[in-house]
Parts: sequence; C-alpha cells; structure tokens
Amino acid sequence: MRPPGRRRDGGVATAVMVLPATVLYTVMLIVPVGLAIYLSLTDWDGYSAAPAFVGGSNYGEVLSDPEFRRAAFVTLLAAVVGTVGMNVLGLGFGMLVSRTTRVSSILRTILFYPHVLSALVVGFLWSAILGTNGAVNSFLTSHGAKLLPFLSDPDWATATLIAVLVWAQFGVSTVLYVAGLQTVPQNLLEAARIDGATKWQTFRHVTLPAIAPVVTVNLVLSLITLLKTYDLVVSLTSGGPAGQTQTLAYLILWNSFHDGRLGFGSAQSVVLMIVTAGLALAVTRLRRRADQGAHA
Amino acid sequence: MRPARTRGGIAVLGALLTLTLAGCGGGGFADSGAAGGGTGSIRMLVNVTPNLTQDFWDRLVAPFEKANPGVDVVIEAPSGKGVSDTLQQQLAAGDPPDVVETLMADPTLAPQLVDLTGEDWVKNTPLAQEASLGGKIYNVGVGEQAQSLVFYNKTAFTKAGITTPPSTLDEMTQDLGKLKTAGYLPLQTSGDFATGLQLLQLTDPALAAATPQFYQDVRAGKTTVGKAMLPYLKLYQSWLDQGYVDKNALGLKYPDAETAFLQGKAGMFVMGSWFTASEAKAKKDFEVGVFAAPVSSGQKSPGAQGATMAAPYLIMKSTQHRDLATKLVRWLVTDQQAVVAQLKQDGNFRTGVQREFTPLEQQVQKILDAAPAKVAQGEGYGDSTLPRGFNSAWNTEVQGLYIGHSPETVADAVDRWLSAHAK
Repeated sequence: MRPPGRRRDGGVATAVMVLPATVLYTVMLIVPVGLAIYLSLTDWDGYSAAPAFVGGSNYGEVLSDPEFRRAAFVTLLAAVVGTVGMNVLGLGFGMLVSRTTRVSSILRTILFYPHVLSALVVGFLWSAILGTNGAVNSFLTSHGAKLLPFLSDPDWATATLIAVLVWAQFGVSTVLYVAGLQTVPQNLLEAARIDGATKWQTFRHVTLPAIAPVVTVNLVLSLITLLKTYDLVVSLTSGGPAGQTQTLAYLILWNSFHDGRLGFGSAQSVVLMIVTAGLALAVTRLRRRADQGAHA
Repeated sequence: MRPARTRGGIAVLGALLTLTLAGCGGGGFADSGAAGGGTGSIRMLVNVTPNLTQDFWDRLVAPFEKANPGVDVVIEAPSGKGVSDTLQQQLAAGDPPDVVETLMADPTLAPQLVDLTGEDWVKNTPLAQEASLGGKIYNVGVGEQAQSLVFYNKTAFTKAGITTPPSTLDEMTQDLGKLKTAGYLPLQTSGDFATGLQLLQLTDPALAAATPQFYQDVRAGKTTVGKAMLPYLKLYQSWLDQGYVDKNALGLKYPDAETAFLQGKAGMFVMGSWFTASEAKAKKDFEVGVFAAPVSSGQKSPGAQGATMAAPYLIMKSTQHRDLATKLVRWLVTDQQAVVAQLKQDGNFRTGVQREFTPLEQQVQKILDAAPAKVAQGEGYGDSTLPRGFNSAWNTEVQGLYIGHSPETVADAVDRWLSAHAK
C-alpha cells in the first residue's frame, strides 16, 4: 500500500504531464469546433462587428438547400468509391512491393510519388491531360476519334474527379499496407503453404486477419480524407460543369468566404463534421466486429 | 464518476464560451482608427496575379517610400484564396491591413472603411462617383477595365466574308454562322468563371438600353435578373444548339480559352480589356481586332460600355495611420508614373492618361471614349450592387445550359438564388 503523500504527488505529476496535451487539445480542437458551432447560429458575414443570433435557421436552410444536397451526394460518392479504390489499389500494390528488394524500393517511391505533389498541382496536371484541349483529347481528335468529355460532362467529370483523387491518395494506403504486411508472421504463412493452401486461401485466412487493424486504419483515414476533398476540386474542375462536382468542403469555403456567409458556411461545416464523425465511428465499429470475428 | 465529469464539462464549456466570445469580440472590428504620424509602416493587402507580381508591387511603391523617408509600405499577398477571404481572416484575427486593393465597397464592408468623400482628389479618379455607396466614396481606382468587348480574328472574318463587325446581336448571330461555315469555331469560351461572365459582358449594352435602372429595379423588385436576362439566355441557347459555341468548352480553363483564341482556332472571343495584355505577349500569324459588344435591334449603337474600376483601393477604418494611408492611396491613383505603371501592367485604361499603346489597346481606348455611358457589370458596384456571390451563382446556372437545362430553368434558378441571398 502506497503512503497517502506519495499518491498525492503522483496525482500532481500526472496533472502536470497531462496539462500541455489538455491545453493543446482545447485550443486546437475544442475552441475551433465551439466557434464553428457558435457561428453557425449567427448570420455573420465575416466583416460585421456584431453577428446577429439567428438560432437554427442556418441549419434549416442547409437541409433544404439543393446545392448542399447535390454536394453531399458527390462527397459521399467520392468518399465511398474512392475509399474502396484507394484500399484495393493500396493493398494490391502493397502486396506487390512488400518484399524488400531494390526494385520494390524504387516501386514504392514511384507509387507514393503522387501523394507528395500538392493536390492543386495534381489537379492542374490532370486537367492539362484530360481537358477538352488536353493531351488525351488532342491525341484522340488528331487520330479521327471522338473527343471524350472528361471534364465537360457532369457524369464524366465526377468519375474523373474520383479517379484522380484515388490516384493522388492511394500511395498512403500502399505504405500503410506494406508496413502491415511486413508484420504478418512468417511461420503462419509457411504453415499455410505446407498445408497446401492456395494463394487466395492464404490471403483470405492468414494475411487479411493479420492486417485487419491496418485495414481499419486505412478505411477510416481514406474516408476522412475524401470527405474533406477541396483543393483538387479547385484545380481540376472548379466545381463544374454547372456546379455538378462541388464537394461539401468546396461549397463550405465558397459560401463562407466568397459569398460572405460565414454563419451559413459554419452550419454546413458542423453538419459535415457530424456526418464524418458518424461514418468514421461506424466504420471503426464494423471493422472491430469483423476483427473480433476473424480472431474468434 | 459522473458528477465530477459533469462539473468538468461545465468548466470546459465555460472556458470555451469565454474564449469564443473573446475570439469574436477582439476581431479588429470597426473603430475610429487614428490619424498617426508622418512616418511608420503601412500594410497594403493586394491582389497577386501573373501580371501583378509581388515584385511589381514592391517596385511600384518604392518611389513613394523614397519620397517619404521613414515610411515603409509592406506589401501583403493574399494568404487565402484571394483578397476577400484573406481580409476576412485578418479581421477575425484582429489584424487587418491599413490599405486593401481589389475589393469594391458594399453595404457589408462599408462600415469598416474610411469615407473619402471629403477628399478633393478623389473626384477626378475613374468611376469614383459611379461606385459611390449611399453618396459616399470609399473606393478610388487607377483606371477602368472595359468589359463589353468582342475580340475577333481578322483573318477569320475575311475568310468568312465579314467586312464590318456586327453592331447588333442579330448581326452577330449571322456572323457566327458565317464563321462556322468558314471552318472556325465561331465563339470561344471556357469553363471556370468565363462562361457566365462572357454572357454578361456581351449583353451589358443591350441590357442597359432595355433596362436602364437594372440594378435598382432588381433591388426594388420591379424586375428580376431572370426576367431581364431570359431573352439573352435563349439567344445563347440557340448559339449552343447551332454549334456556334463548343459544348465541351466547360472542360477548358480560362487561360486555355485565351490560348485557343490566340492560336487562331476561333472567330470571336468576348472578354474584358485585360485580354489586351495577353494578346500583346502572344506570337500569332493573324491580327486581332475588337469591337464594342452589340446591342439589340432598334437600340442605339454603340451602347453603354460595361466597366469596372481597375485597381480599386480602400482604407480600413481601423488603421492607426489614416493620414499616411490616405497619402499613399492618393499617390497610387494620382501620381502619373504610378498610374501609368499600373495601367500598363494589367492592360487597363484611363481617359486623359497617355501611355504606350499596342494597336489593339488603341482600339479599346477608342471604344471607351465613344461609349455614351459606363454601366456596372455583374455583381456591380456602389449603389448598383447585387448580393455578394452573384457572379459565381450566375456562372453556375449559365453552365446549366450546356448540360441540358432550359433558359427558363436557368432564369428561375438565378432568381431563386437572388431571393435567398437578398438582405
């Protein structure tokens, strides 16, 4: 049994150690979120000295706004399809380059390279490639083929945006999967091989359960990254054609700063924050159940 | 234990509320500012573009600093997407600049600005009266940007058999057809902001003649933007249907459209006078001409010219160097050398100010001089102002014509946006 004085010292020490993190967490997270919630209840335009309190009217407008609904659809589509794409590609390439050889090291660098580029650069790069006068269409039309509306047709533009998002982001998934795959116990893989398991059976029953926590992390990270897609929209499609590729983050920034409706934009961002947190929690819980099932 | 957690929660909430209110209250909102002394540091938030580089701004103010020892003009480039959102961030942080370039005063911004109405020198600056708000002048500018201009490929016109540029929209429609027959893309456009802007630029003269008090009438509910613009939306739709405008143009960035026109692929390109700066730099094997945007049949030609203030300056009321900031702004918009440097850098114009013109710029100056009036364009300025964000909302809806929306649907959507954003 510890003497009472020592226990008190320990409590003080703990409090002192926790204090910096608590202050940082409060200043960097709780205060901005609190501010966003507060502003979402006002009509602040970013300039006025005294924003008027408007209650929940911003939220009412957000939920009935067709532009918000369209942006929410595009965002969710990009998040779901993009998450699947990033993880399928990430895991596939991760398995391809998980063994450390000279070639795989070079390949890892190449695969990660798109992520190093600024999303703005990536957008401009791909618009130069896929735009109406871009490299691909110039090649097609000069060979008598029909021009492809990568960025000028709403459906094509949405698909192009998602594909470029996956291209720009899958490097991170690959790196995480490579790290995860290197922790898979070699003796289990060896045992499966001796037992005559096929490659698919080995992957399904040995590798996948072993990297389950990495899959969860990757899914959540991908989802959160894609739900706040902004800069690639700016540089690739500018939200067009006809506003059809606007994402929620793009719309929030546009409403807040371009249109001078910070109160309304804050309400949109609070809704996005809640949806993101909900989806991230749901994915984490589903994955945890799957992990428990795999280990059972 | 739950009670302890609740107490902790209340404490955190209290702290949060305090910080929130402090954050909003300390945001550099309007105060009276101070006249300040004869020396000090003036912070100027400016627009930085490929033409207006940081280096250009530094060189521009250097003579002022030299003539005023002890004065340091600190040029600030936008840290956000543009000047507008950077100013918002700086205001929220309680750290606004002394002078702002690019923004036009509107009812939202006006309470934060120094009223320059009493200054004698402002009255001779371009568009100062037109951009006044409630009889008060907050903006002073260096020159004018002509907006309602149609640049054209002279070779294409010759090949299409067009001898005189069109003066009415009907004539322009006929000429677009001739250009198509001659193998040219009749009218160059792009995605980005250009789609809607071009339609506004093109129709400003006709609109000004049909609805002389357009902005006031819209604000007073006597007409709506959708109703006033519907005939022009229908015209544009007919051009799309006839292939006079490329339906895939939305896949182009604005600079790509400029390049495509300067490569000689298109017959006409509707744009503001800043295009002359791009034209001057381009290597091409044809000559570019320009004419004032046409009017509707029966209207007097040339019509009023859509115009905006070039390089508008504002002084923030919160400045601690009001006199010095005023002296700087006065110098920027009245000193001959400073004015010419700014006009030349961004392809702008000012009646009575001579500078070295390219042949195309000479034509633009003639159009400006011949215009019977100057009218606000897009969101407008001063008392002729539509809600902030109108330009982009209009642009989005006009692009809807490309993806199958009818002119009526577009007009309705614009009016819905306006009624939702009207204060």
